[in-house]
Order: sequence, then structure tokens, then C-alpha cells
Amino acid sequence: MSLRTERTWLANGWRLLHFGFLTYLWIGFDDAENTFILLLLLFLLTSLRWRFELPAVFLLPDILICVLYFPYTSVSYYALALPIFEWAQRGRWPFSLSVFVALGFVPFFSGWLLWYFVLALFVGFFLDRYARNLEQWKKEADEQRKARQELERVKAELLEAQRSVSKQAELTERYRIARQLHDHLGHDLTGASLALQAHAYAEDPEEAKSLLQEVKSRLERSTHSLRETVHDATPVAPIGIENLERALLHFQEIDVSLRKSGDLLSVAAYQWSLLEACLKEALTNIVRHSDATAAEVTVQVAGAIVRLLVQDDGTPRENNAQSESGSGLRSLNMRARALGGSLSTSADNGFLLVCVLPLEQEG
Amino acid sequence: MRVLSTVRFTLLRLMRNYIVLLLLLAVPIALLTVFSVILSGMVDEAGRPYFDQTALTMVLAFQLFGGSTVMSYLNEDLFARNRERMTVAPFNRTLYAFSILLAGSAFSFLLGAAIMAYTRLVLGLVWANWGWTLYLIALMAVLSSIVCVIFVCGVKSFSTAERLSEVYGVGFVLLAGLFFPMPQHAVFEFMGSYGNPLTLSVGAVRAVEIGNWNEAWFQANIVLAAIGFLFPVMLVMGRRRLR
Amino acid sequence: MTIFYFTLKRSFANLANLIFLTAAPIACIFLPAGEGWPPLAYGYAYFGIVILFVAIRLAQIMMEDRVKGILKRLSVAPVRYFSYLGQHLLAYAVILILQSAVVVLGGWIAGQELHRPWALFALYVSFSFAALAMALAWISVFRSKDAAFLFYMSLIVLAALLGGIILPLEIFPDLLRRIAVILPTFWFAEGLKSIASAQPFADNVRINATLCLYALVFLVLGSTRRMQ
Repeated sequence: MSLRTERTWLANGWRLLHFGFLTYLWIGFDDAENTFILLLLLFLLTSLRWRFELPAVFLLPDILICVLYFPYTSVSYYALALPIFEWAQRGRWPFSLSVFVALGFVPFFSGWLLWYFVLALFVGFFLDRYARNLEQWKKEADEQRKARQELERVKAELLEAQRSVSKQAELTERYRIARQLHDHLGHDLTGASLALQAHAYAEDPEEAKSLLQEVKSRLERSTHSLRETVHDATPVAPIGIENLERALLHFQEIDVSLRKSGDLLSVAAYQWSLLEACLKEALTNIVRHSDATAAEVTVQVAGAIVRLLVQDDGTPRENNAQSESGSGLRSLNMRARALGGSLSTSADNGFLLVCVLPLEQEG
Repeated sequence: MRVLSTVRFTLLRLMRNYIVLLLLLAVPIALLTVFSVILSGMVDEAGRPYFDQTALTMVLAFQLFGGSTVMSYLNEDLFARNRERMTVAPFNRTLYAFSILLAGSAFSFLLGAAIMAYTRLVLGLVWANWGWTLYLIALMAVLSSIVCVIFVCGVKSFSTAERLSEVYGVGFVLLAGLFFPMPQHAVFEFMGSYGNPLTLSVGAVRAVEIGNWNEAWFQANIVLAAIGFLFPVMLVMGRRRLR
Repeated sequence: MTIFYFTLKRSFANLANLIFLTAAPIACIFLPAGEGWPPLAYGYAYFGIVILFVAIRLAQIMMEDRVKGILKRLSVAPVRYFSYLGQHLLAYAVILILQSAVVVLGGWIAGQELHRPWALFALYVSFSFAALAMALAWISVFRSKDAAFLFYMSLIVLAALLGGIILPLEIFPDLLRRIAVILPTFWFAEGLKSIASAQPFADNVRINATLCLYALVFLVLGSTRRMQ
């Protein structure tokens, strides 16, 4: 049952109870057949209200009918509790207070009547608050859902941007190296090559000597330039597999062995960063949730994929692996998917984490 | 006797048939309760409470409808829904039909006895001779079941057979003059006295109340004779239909 | 009005229905009169029960539409549910009004003491409306045709008994007599009494209006569109 229908159930339940009470009053304290028509009329109006969404103005016929029956039966005073309830549950409770005026016309002691009115007012008021809260909760839930979706979208965009930035950086670097080679090394080597060719035809030994000197100095300069270029291009921070090795070096809790195979250089920098995150997550999980004594890390580059496997020999505790480490793995899985790969785990035989990423096609 | 093992399930099915329970147990109980409230304190010329007679008539009248369960189960199992399954089942279908007849009659009888117990325990009605009343309830239950079997085997369409069984029940209730007095005519006179199982069984119980055992046996034996006459008819019709 | 004509045809299509719809009112004409009670001949009181049964049998046709999924198929046809419901109810009302006319006219010809035939006819018609609306509301709650009919049948018997059609209300205890007023059958019995005892015209109008009020209430409750 949805919350909205629950509310209409409550409202209809009160209406039915009200009519049950009126009928009881009528049977117990009123014998005239004609006053039963009052109940029928009110029931007709209520069933109309049940079927169709009628505006609050349509409560006036109810009140009119009740007022017309005032001289004939005391049930009509009690019947006024229905408009009180309806107004209150529509959030118009000040209107319903006006019905309390009828208490002044009651020709009998009316303590019970007053309490019945107050009860109807309270129930209607409660239903009104209930409905409003319901609306608010729904709105909040919707907003939160929207915000969460927005966040996920931003995250995916960020991952995409990271990938593109790292690719741009690589291309820029390659371009810089190419330019440097062209500007310095290229000219000197060409000059040296031309000088050597000229040396072959040189007849004057003095001129040949100076040409050789020229070749020598150019080759020296280009060697120097080459050394400088290479030195500039070699990063100071560890990259690629070194990062993973360093992470393992700092991890002292249990024995971890690393095996690597394939052409590790074809793995892009942004892919290494994900693999490193995976490894760190797996190692953290081993420490936090597992009783493993040894683990084996394998990095394989084969064909068009790079694969990272972290296998331990522990028995992961039930639930924990699912719930606590869940959020970390889920986020990693999302990042892997954003890079076109996948991340999967298995707890069949120790805990095994496998991350597979596709390699960039060269060109 | 493979059929014997099915009786348990037939009885279970009968007991779980809520609509039958409603119509043959809850409705009479509700009606009797209302009648007991309405007729409380009223006595007829002989000084007996009106309610005694009403209760007796109602307990017996509802037996007229007891056969409808037998009819619907026979139709369901042997002629309609389960027909093919029953045909390949390795037992005697005629015997199975007979077991349904017996189980249905027993169930109807039990319901009658339950209503009697209700009137005794809750409404405080004193039955003059409950053993004799139970005997007549049993006779009525068997008779109604046999009549319904004849209907369902004799008529091709099941809904017609159902209508006929309703005519049998409502007809004899009307002929007994329970709703309005029947016109003064020889046919109606006969159908309102010796030609009507309901009046016969009511009469048999009433006769015992005033100590007239000869009359009681006479009336009960007419019902028994009707059963004895209709039983071979049922056998012939049933065998013809089940062949 | 296609649905209207089709509904009329369909109501008489099955033999049992045909017999029931024609024979029952005719039988009512010829039932004898009682001594002092009921106010009119027996048949004219029991015709109220017949109306209740006819109403549920007719309304069952609509229930069949719903259960068999015909209503679902109809919902893609260019027919509004309101028109479907209205034409069905109109057809049933026509049948019931014709039956009432047959009973009143037949009784008049057969020489039954009817006191005020027009008032009697009006009473039957308004009770027919109430019965039809009640049957409509009743079937909207059920999913199985047989269960709806059998439950209603037992309720009819109880309502007829408690409302004073089968037994005179005067012998009822006080409390039951008050509760009886809630039932439409009470107002029907009341109407018969008022006709037989030559009450003023306004009294008849009051009773008919009450029955129509019942019809309206149950029509509002029963006209909800259900597909299952």
C-alpha cells in the first residue's frame, strides 16, 4: 500500500466510523424513520466526496441539511462533526471552528458533543499534517535523488576529463621532445653530416682539418643536447610499475609477491593510477577484513588489455567484505568502467580482485 | 480398493468449500438466530414455541440443497475439468462416483447435525427426540444426493441440472407452504403432505413429539421407499452416463 | 445505443435467464392473499425479492465483462466507461420496469386487490432502481461471479426477513425493528403497507424518495471503474 492510499484509507476509515457512530446514536436514541433519511443524505454526500475530489465549498450542503434537521433529531448535531473533520483535513481548520458555534444552540447538555467535535477536529488536523509531511518527504527524497544523480554524472565527467588530460599531456611532451630533437640535435647532426661529405672532397689538408674540427664540435654539441633532452624527459617521480612496486615496498603487514609480464610501457599513465588505487584498496581490505598471511599481485599485459590480479589466502569474514569495503570497490568499479574496463572480485578461494583495462591503440 | 483412499480427499475438499459452508451452515445459523430473536416467547395453540417448528423445518429444508455439492463434484471430476485424468486413473469410476455420493451425503448430514447442535447449545432449543431427527436428516441428505445424481446424469448440460436441483429444493419448500398457503387443490394437497419429503420428515418428527410412533414410522418409511425407488433409477442412469 | 440493444438481447439470451425474467413476475401475480398479512397478496410482497434477484442476475452480466477482460478490450474502443455503464443500467432498468408493469397490470386484469396500482408501480420502479444500484455496488467488490451471486443470495434472504417482507415487522423485538429501517427492504415493505392502508400521497412520495436516495448512494459507490 502506498503512503497516499494509506492516507485515503485513514480518511475513509474515519468517515465510516463516523457513520457507524451516527447509526448507533440513531438506533439507540431516536426512533423516527424520517430522521434516518438525514443519515442517507449525508452518506450520499460523503460517498460523492469519496468518489470525486470535491472542493471544500461542497460541505455547505452537509451543514444545511444538518441545520434543517436540528428541530427533529439530536443526531443532526453530532453529524456536524463530519464537516469539521473534512475542513480540518483539507487544512482549513479555522472554518471548522465556526461549526462549534452550533454548540450554543443545542437544547441538551452537550459535553459529549463537544468532545466528539474536538476529536473530529483533531483527527482531521492530524490527517492534514500527515499529508503535508508526506508531500515534504517526497519532495526531499526527490531532491536527494536528483542530487545523487548529478554527482554521479559529475564523477563520470571528471574521470573522462582525467583521461583526456593525461593523453594531452603525453602528446604535448612528445611534441616538445620532437621539437627539441629537431631544433638542436637535428641541425647539428645535419651540419656534421654535410661537413663529413665536404671533407671527402676537401683537397687542402688545412681545410679538411677545420671541417673535421667542425664535425667533432657539432657531434659533441648534439651529444650534449641529446643527453640534456633525455635528462629533461625522464621524470623524477616514479611512474608506471614503479609506483606499484613502491606501494608494495611500503606494505609490511604480510608477505606480498609481485609478478609482472608483458610490455608494461604500453600502459598509459592514467591507467596506472587506477591500477595503483586498486592495489592499495585490495591491500587495505586485506588488512582490515581478512586474516590472510600472504598475497600475490600479478600485473599482466597481454594483447590489448592490462590485467591486475590480487589474490590472498585468507578467509574473508561474512558480510564485512560486502558492506564495508563495498563502497571503495564500487567506486573503483565505476572508475574502471569509465575507462572501458571492469573490476570483479571473488571470495571462493581466498579473496581475489581482478581489474582489467583495455590498452590504448597506438596511433 | 483404490477408491477408498480418495474418500479422505473428497471429504477434505468438501470441508474446504467455503461457499457451501456459507450457504448450508452460516446462512441457516444466521437465519435461525434471527428467527429465535423474533419468535422468542411466541407459542402456538398447543402451547409449543413457534421457534421449535421453524428450527425443525429449516434444518430439514436445508437438507434439500445438500445434494448440490455431490452434483458439482461429480460434474467436475467425471464430466468436466478432471474428466481425462479420471479416465486414465486405475480405478473404478462408478465406484468413485458412489464414494462421492456417500461423502457428500455424510457431509450434508454433518452440517445438519451441526445446525442442530447450534440450536441446542446456543439457542437453547430442546429437541424432543434428537436420534429420530438425526435419522430423518440422514434420510433427507441421501434422498437429495440421489436426486441430484439423477439430474446430473440424466441431463446433458450441467447448468440445466443445477437449475433442476434448485427447482427441486425451492419447489418442495414452496409446496410445503412455508412461504405462502398453497391453493386448495388435490394435487397441491398431496404435494403438501405425503408427496413432499420435507413435510413427510417434518411430520415424522412431529409425530414422535406427540408419541405417535406408528405415524412417525409410516411417514419416515415413505421417504425411505422414495430412496429405495430412486436408487435403482440412479444406478441405471449413472451407469449409462459413465459407460 | 448499440450497447443498450445488445445488453437487452444478452439479458434474454440464455434460457434460464429468459424463464427467470418472464416466469417469475407472472407467477407472482397469481399467488394467493394472506389473512391480515401481508398487506397485499403474497406475490406482491415477494416480487420485491424477485426484483433483488433479477437485479443481481442482470448485474452479473457486467461482472462477466469485467472478469473475462471484455471491459479491458472495450477501454480501447471509442466508448466512454460512463456510456457503457449508463446504457447497461438503462437496459436493466427497462427490463425491471417492464416486469413491474407486467405484475401490476396482470394483477389489475386478474382482479387482485391492488388499492392504488399507480402508486404500487412507482414503488416497484424505485425499488428496482435501488436494487440495481445495490447489485452494481455489490459486484464491484467481487472477482468471482459465483461467489458474488451466492453471497448476495444469502444476504437477500436475510435482508428480506429483517426488512419485514417475509414476516410482519410488528412481531419483531424493538431493537430489530429499529435496525430494520437501515435496510432498503424495510422501505419497500413500508411502501406496501402505506399503499394498502391508504396513507396520504405524501407518504408514498417520501418512501419512493428514500428508495431513490438508496439508489443514488449505491450508484455512486458502485460506479467506480474497475478493470480486474
